[in-house]
Amino acid sequence: MTSDHIHPEPTTFLKKHVFSVDHKVIAKQFLWFGLVWLGIGGIMAMMLRWQLANPGVPVPLFGKLLFPRTSGVIDPASYNTLFTMHGTIMIFLGLTPAMIGALGNWSIPLMIGARDMIFPTLNMLSFWTMVMGGAVGFYSLFVPLGATEAGWTGYPTLSTTVGAVGQGETLWAIAVFLIGASSIMGGINYITTVIRLRCPGMHWMRLPLTVWGLFLTSILNVLFIPVIGSAMIILVLDRVFGTTFYVPASIMSGGTGGDPILYQHLFWIFGHPEVYILILPAWGVVCDLLSFFARKPAFGYRASVGAMVAVTVLSAVVYGHHMFTTGLSAMLGESFMLLTMIISVPAEVLFFNWLHTLWKGNLRLTTPMLFAMSVIFVFGLGGLTGIYLATIGTDIFLHDTYFVVGHFHLTMAASALFGTFAAVYFWFPKMFGRMMSERLGKLHFWLSFVPLVIVFCIMFISGYAGMPRRYYDHTSTEYLRPLQHLNVATSVAAFLLGAAQLIFVYNFIKSRWWGEPAPQNPWEVGTLDWTTETPVPHYNFKTIPVVQCGPHEFSNPVLGPDTDWIYQTEKLPG
Amino acid sequence: MSMLKAILPSLAFLRSRWLGCPLALMLTSTWALAQDKRWGPGEAASDYGYRFHDLFWLITILVSVAFALVVLLLAIPVLRDRERPGHRASFDHGKSLHDKRLTAVISIVTFIILDAWVLVIAMQDLREAYWAIPDAEDPQTYRVEVLAQQWAWNFRAPGVDGEFGTADDIITINELVVPKDRPVSFNMTSKDVIHALFLPEMRMKRDVNPGSINKTWFRPITAGDFTILCAELCGFAHYQMSGKLRVLEQGLFNEWEAEASKLASTAFDADDTEAQWAWDWEE
Repeated sequence: MTSDHIHPEPTTFLKKHVFSVDHKVIAKQFLWFGLVWLGIGGIMAMMLRWQLANPGVPVPLFGKLLFPRTSGVIDPASYNTLFTMHGTIMIFLGLTPAMIGALGNWSIPLMIGARDMIFPTLNMLSFWTMVMGGAVGFYSLFVPLGATEAGWTGYPTLSTTVGAVGQGETLWAIAVFLIGASSIMGGINYITTVIRLRCPGMHWMRLPLTVWGLFLTSILNVLFIPVIGSAMIILVLDRVFGTTFYVPASIMSGGTGGDPILYQHLFWIFGHPEVYILILPAWGVVCDLLSFFARKPAFGYRASVGAMVAVTVLSAVVYGHHMFTTGLSAMLGESFMLLTMIISVPAEVLFFNWLHTLWKGNLRLTTPMLFAMSVIFVFGLGGLTGIYLATIGTDIFLHDTYFVVGHFHLTMAASALFGTFAAVYFWFPKMFGRMMSERLGKLHFWLSFVPLVIVFCIMFISGYAGMPRRYYDHTSTEYLRPLQHLNVATSVAAFLLGAAQLIFVYNFIKSRWWGEPAPQNPWEVGTLDWTTETPVPHYNFKTIPVVQCGPHEFSNPVLGPDTDWIYQTEKLPG
Repeated sequence: MSMLKAILPSLAFLRSRWLGCPLALMLTSTWALAQDKRWGPGEAASDYGYRFHDLFWLITILVSVAFALVVLLLAIPVLRDRERPGHRASFDHGKSLHDKRLTAVISIVTFIILDAWVLVIAMQDLREAYWAIPDAEDPQTYRVEVLAQQWAWNFRAPGVDGEFGTADDIITINELVVPKDRPVSFNMTSKDVIHALFLPEMRMKRDVNPGSINKTWFRPITAGDFTILCAELCGFAHYQMSGKLRVLEQGLFNEWEAEASKLASTAFDADDTEAQWAWDWEE
């Protein structure tokens, strides 16, 4: 089960820090990469909010630089590009590397007691493929005839040459394909590593729940990313080689046509699992961190695992709820409505377990704990508002309004982002050997949490009031003009949210190089990653550890009154 | 006071052109300009519109209770179970049969209250209203063909003769006139990309796809002028693809229809095949 085959530590800079096959270095690469792209996507969101609150007013600071032809004003086409790229970047280039790439690479080998991923070179390839995807995506902003502007969902025929002539759309599809390929490589690696490289004694029911979340996410990645990959290849074929998979005969001159709805099926067969791809690792982290900082075992470990497995399975059969207004048959619509609602059962089990884990605990409200607890709040808000959208009767009106925007940002974006923050604050000491400032961390938490909830709750009101999403200017329509004050309020809160991230940037960079040196186990947690020295040596463990107990043996009475935790490598007394 | 004087000059940047002006614009003018602020979708003007509100507020009540419970269960440990000297967490893996039963019961009860109840009502709504598209053969049904394009709505009504594809078909752009209290049934398709016909006051929305015909309907119960919007991203002028829906009393509507049909016949050009986009109504 274990790898005794150890390569010597590389000595050249290039091998050590750039083309490294060490999972720890790759994790850091993914983290930096993801954080930079989250920043870029965030700035795009700020520009979108600027335009919505002040339609036609030049963007301050850097507007003239980015939109020289309109002297700083965002034009409608650029606005579409901005929200398309905001979505694509945040999902594929921000959260995917920061959550799955960095967290997965860092925690899986360390938490299961392995010396590296099972396929280190594939791991490196996965990172560099993603860099390539990011480069192609970024380049797509500057090509002749315009960047992509068909939304992150890229529905044809708007995304075919019928609606988008710009080469940017083609490059966007290629970028999504490349990033998808990267995720598949990562997924295969994670699955195989978890199955093959668990150290002796680490049986399935002793795995930290973080690893479970990442493992299930990887399964979804490997199963469903190929679907979007094929959808993107077909889109490129349609755009470049003149095939007509997505272009109906009625809008072509001659030949037999295809159907744009085919794409929607392909996209959402992937797209709905993608929501869970992003949220499952966050759920896993939340399960673990709540237990770690409540100094209490994770309540109902098996039920949590079961719930996450059930969500993984069900996520594959609910995608039709994205298409209730597309023209699904009544039978399909009702089936998808029912299946979508069934997925709330495992979610309820998880909520129940989380809340029960906190109950009668001994809570240490550190920054990672605050972020983990906020996921309960934020995901609760997002999940519950999902009921409005799963119900076709209300979805007909709310579909494609800001209600949807608020809902999915709270569920897949904010929850995954806060889960990522929790993970970064938690593993930072082990990763970089230094502590992050707790004071700044808590400030960052409160200044992110409060505006974030305000931003997306106002969006629920806007959506309920009938404000369509993806509109360049809501003041140009009589019916929507009286809603402008909601846009302004959302934008003010959004700018506060954006500004608060500067605290994180400052804290991260300052702590990375000038932070207080971290002790080996600052959080007093028993999982295998904290048994290693800080900084973690090359090949992690001098001898492969042997696991004796589960990851959450907190406050066990047999430990005696002086300590409330135990390493997984130690045997419970008695 | 002296401290204020010390701070004020540093705030001068707020007055500078690149930041101050737009900031002030945003905070004051935009808010002030929106004189009649709206917080909801307004009154429903279709006969099934009330169903949206009934269901929306039912879900809101259920969801609010559930969320309040979550927040309460989050707040109690935060206030009560904080770490302090001499305090220890209770040791509980939640493995007992009692815990398993509790988990199962709570999840299933929540599902029944939160989801199943709503599901049953939603199914009823779909069968009785949203998807109960009226019979096209019924003379009461007012039929409209929609041909969407970047960025306009083309509407075709059969005119006084009640048949599509004839000289008296009434074709309007970005304006639709319908009679009050009669079901209005749509057959819709698109020339180029996907659009979505969104009548917010009627609580109606349906995608308009190229290459296939999508159907939907509503019955207006209030006369007046209403809004037509596009709800599916369709290019850079998507936000401008709006129109006007006029609902007329039956008497007024008949007058308008006769007039419009007559005008249409005089302007009809049999050779202009481009304009003959009517299609047969089947089923």
